[in-house]
Amino acid sequence: MIRRWFQALPGPLPVRLLIAFVIVAIVVALLAVVFERAGDLIDTGGVVGPGQ
Amino acid sequence: MKLLRGLGWTMIWAGGLVLLFLVYQLWGTNLITDRAQDQATDALEVYLSDTGEQLAAAGELPPPTPDDPEAAQPVLYEEPSPALHTPFARIVIPKAGVDHIVFAGVSRDDLKKGPGHMEWTALPGQPGNAVISGHRTTYGAPFYDLDLVGVGDEITVQTAIGTHVFAVREILIVSPSAVEVTEPRLGVWLTLTTCHPRRSAAQRLIVHAELAAGPNLEYARSLFPDVEGSAS
Repeated sequence: MIRRWFQALPGPLPVRLLIAFVIVAIVVALLAVVFERAGDLIDTGGVVGPGQ
Repeated sequence: MKLLRGLGWTMIWAGGLVLLFLVYQLWGTNLITDRAQDQATDALEVYLSDTGEQLAAAGELPPPTPDDPEAAQPVLYEEPSPALHTPFARIVIPKAGVDHIVFAGVSRDDLKKGPGHMEWTALPGQPGNAVISGHRTTYGAPFYDLDLVGVGDEITVQTAIGTHVFAVREILIVSPSAVEVTEPRLGVWLTLTTCHPRRSAAQRLIVHAELAAGPNLEYARSLFPDVEGSAS
């Protein structure tokens, strides 16, 4: 599945590697943000206040 | 058939993401906090030493051992507010296995490093209500066992003017918006807040503790002139 996705990328091998790297970096960054926010469901740090 | 295969792959990916999320939250975040606490150890030593020297030079540091505590004048020993996001105190709760460096501020980033002091409340050991918040499940979970603390148990906070010992007076479960628990109190108080129950942010566990020993004990007692043993 990953191999097919990689081969479907345009351009020669170095370009495909670069595109794949950028896509993976964006996905990881997005996941980090989502995980961070979703983490508030199990633990916000215990702060008490109107916005909690 | 193709639809089923697609559904199967989707579920495998979704399961993988959930697993990754749990590993990150329950294990990965601890590494972040552990590293921050390690790095803060030296910074706290420097802060306590430098601030202590400044206060001593100004003659505002309490004597290490008062000659006669009963005869001591009710002097209020103050200390400067620490810079936001920096380590400034150490909190120890033997009953809950807590021994952490406290940072100034309760922003998301502050609480990743350890327990945080709500900067708009009194400093620990000062008149009013000092509020310290901490994670219960993630980021080192400094207050993981805070529910083991009972009335009468000790909480120790070391700041630039010395070591303050608090005795737990009240334990509450409140909603996350119950801001009244952070309001100023008469005397010298410490309030700890954390999520409740573990692995849920649905409620807050609150521990109110009153000063039982420390540089400002006599001052705290003087705030209750007509009440016998109110701050003891």
